[in-house]
Amino acid sequence: MSERPITKGPVAKGPVAKGPVAKALLTKPCCDDDVPGGVNAGDPRVALVGNPNVGKSTLFNMLTGARQRIGNWPGKTVSVAQGTWRSPNGEITLIDLPGTYSLVPGSPDEALTRDLLVDRGMGGRPDLVVITVDAANLARNLYLLAQVMETGVPLVVALTMVDIAESRGIRVDAGRLSELIGAPVVPLVPRRGEGVAEFDRVVARALAAPRRPALPVLGEDMEAALASITAEVPAETAVRYPARWLSIALLTGEDVPGVPEETAAAARAAGAALSGGEPAGDDEPDDPELLVAEQRYAWVHEVIAEVVTRRGAGRATWSDRVDRVLTSRWSGPPIFLAVMWAVFALTTKAAAPLMAGFQGLVDGPVSTGAGRLLDALGAGGAIRGLVLNGLIAGVGQVLSFVPLMAIMFVLLSVLEDSGYLARAAFVVDRLMRVIGLPGRAFLPLIVGFGCNVPALAGTRILSDRRHRLLTGLLIPFVTCSARLTVYVLVATAFFGSAAGTVVFAMYVLSIALVIGMGLLLRGTLFRGMAEEPLVLDLPPYRLPAVRVIGAQSWVKLQAFLKTASGIIVATVTLVWLLSSIPFGGQGSFGRTPIEHSVFGAASHAVAPAFAPSGFGDWHASAALITGFVAKEAVVSTMAQTYSMGEPADGHQPGGLGGALRATIEQTSHGHPVPAVLAFLVFLLAYTPCMTTVAAQRVEIGGRLTLFGIGMQLTLAWLLAVAVFRVGSLFL
Amino acid sequence: MRPGDFARGAVMRLRRVTGDRRHRRRLAELGFVPGASLSVLGRGMHGGLVLALGDGRVAVDALTAATLVVEPADE
Repeated sequence: MSERPITKGPVAKGPVAKGPVAKALLTKPCCDDDVPGGVNAGDPRVALVGNPNVGKSTLFNMLTGARQRIGNWPGKTVSVAQGTWRSPNGEITLIDLPGTYSLVPGSPDEALTRDLLVDRGMGGRPDLVVITVDAANLARNLYLLAQVMETGVPLVVALTMVDIAESRGIRVDAGRLSELIGAPVVPLVPRRGEGVAEFDRVVARALAAPRRPALPVLGEDMEAALASITAEVPAETAVRYPARWLSIALLTGEDVPGVPEETAAAARAAGAALSGGEPAGDDEPDDPELLVAEQRYAWVHEVIAEVVTRRGAGRATWSDRVDRVLTSRWSGPPIFLAVMWAVFALTTKAAAPLMAGFQGLVDGPVSTGAGRLLDALGAGGAIRGLVLNGLIAGVGQVLSFVPLMAIMFVLLSVLEDSGYLARAAFVVDRLMRVIGLPGRAFLPLIVGFGCNVPALAGTRILSDRRHRLLTGLLIPFVTCSARLTVYVLVATAFFGSAAGTVVFAMYVLSIALVIGMGLLLRGTLFRGMAEEPLVLDLPPYRLPAVRVIGAQSWVKLQAFLKTASGIIVATVTLVWLLSSIPFGGQGSFGRTPIEHSVFGAASHAVAPAFAPSGFGDWHASAALITGFVAKEAVVSTMAQTYSMGEPADGHQPGGLGGALRATIEQTSHGHPVPAVLAFLVFLLAYTPCMTTVAAQRVEIGGRLTLFGIGMQLTLAWLLAVAVFRVGSLFL
Repeated sequence: MRPGDFARGAVMRLRRVTGDRRHRRRLAELGFVPGASLSVLGRGMHGGLVLALGDGRVAVDALTAATLVVEPADE
């Protein structure tokens, strides 16, 4: 691990403001704002704060390795990663807070970061903040730093992207920056582990002797107004909130608990006086919040003038030249489609042999070995069936998804880490706006055509939680490749040479369902979802780092397996159990025909529900019930219920297609075509599989997953009835 | 004038951002404050622009681009 200095100047050791410029830029830390006297009980807590795409999570992954967990912050719906950093100076609890451009909350993610830093009454406050600052785009990062400094929390700056800054001719004087902000600054390259040893030492020192940073100066008039507000704030409120943050919040009209109304009103009046002036044109008047932002940027540019030196300024970077091609109105869309096709192909084609390999391993050597072991132990038929057909079959299904998920997570990380994902979002943004989603949502939806499970994992690229939820509810309507096998079998049996057209129509209907349900949900459950104008920060293009991609993918894969495996194994075991238990006195446990098992009885019981759609028969309902577990099982269940062999491939359905046709002829009362179309439409629209349900639970939570299942079943049934009823009039 | 009125590479200065308070605040946080230096690096579909904003690169849609009131940097 290299520890060479990356930018000019030494790593700063402490918050000492020197020189005339520093005097002009900084105010002395205020006396009434107490510094935490020491660390929390237990391991010290360090929060990582920073803009998106500046290496914050890379730093987190590098420091914690696999010792991390992702979960909602207590009492919030915001997902936060926490991990243990085994620093040479002891264990530290590291909290990776969501990336943000500002501490003025515009989303629950940003609100959590803000509350954690400013509300001393909130549990889990960090002892120290490490703020990642992008050396290649200093202005926007120093803006957030200014706000963190205003909270008075002890901080260390991790100066990232110094290699990219250097390549653009930008050199940042870390020592001078440290003097100006009154906090240590450590240049590092997390992707290569450079600067980490020094970072360890600086964080240990900052934890041992916490110090408040300096305060950015916001102009003479505003400073006077802030001073007068600070003087009026009740002592107990000033204890809960940092004085500087509190006075700015009151000046900008924010409601802060514990502040008397007359104090708040006086602060608002002071803010209004500062921003007084006629609005330009039809716009709303300027407000103090904007004025504060402008003053912070004025401070930022003064700091930049002190710490940044440039050579070759103004020239187009190679990243700019690549952007001219990738975001162009002419070449951007075809390149985007090619990338999406590559993702789709890799998640389906490349994963297929690996999936078959895992499945073969479980079905072959693992099952055989387990069978011999059970024989040796003298296990009876029931135990043998439970282990082989329930537990091991369930684990086999989980394992068969591992390559698919691993490929998907790696591709997501590569697209994100390389910087292309932000460009793709720009290229396709307008199209996705039709259903109220940002451009980035295109990727998980397109991946869903291969498999819905990695598609759901792909919703993580969406930063807005409501966008993730809406996309997660729409993905099951994207017809996956497992459904294709059933379409082909059924369509070939009924439509012969026109089967291709029917299958194509299913894909068109799938897209129509995504758009239609997107519009419906956007107008109902997600009505309040604001349509954000597109303002997208474009990170520089980079070669993805293998170890970063590997670490990120491994953590995501572990989280998927932990949450999804239990549901899948339990469901597969339940279906086996129900198929093994005799119903109506025929046969014994594990030795009963499927029609006379509890599963068969349940299929008979459910069948009348499908009578209005023309396929009210137990063979069809049994296939649809196992289709709830996995669409791959639909064809094999049909074969089982008709006591026939499974066709070698969907194009030669043999006797199974004929048997199905005879059944549908009978149940549809002479209208088999609309009935089979209704069956296919139901198959498209209802729950894709149990693994999708498990993945949905991971991504959008249990309650919305249940809502999604209900929505899919209702829509599938209504559509199937409508297709059969309307179709029966003509066919 | 709006950024779309300028040729690629031309340097402009932001005079103000129009629109509602939330929109202007969001843009201000990203560095779209009066006096900020801008230039157009590329043009996407439907009037979207890739802009250089200081050292950063920002993509905006046509609606957002229309809220940026700019002037040539040498004025």
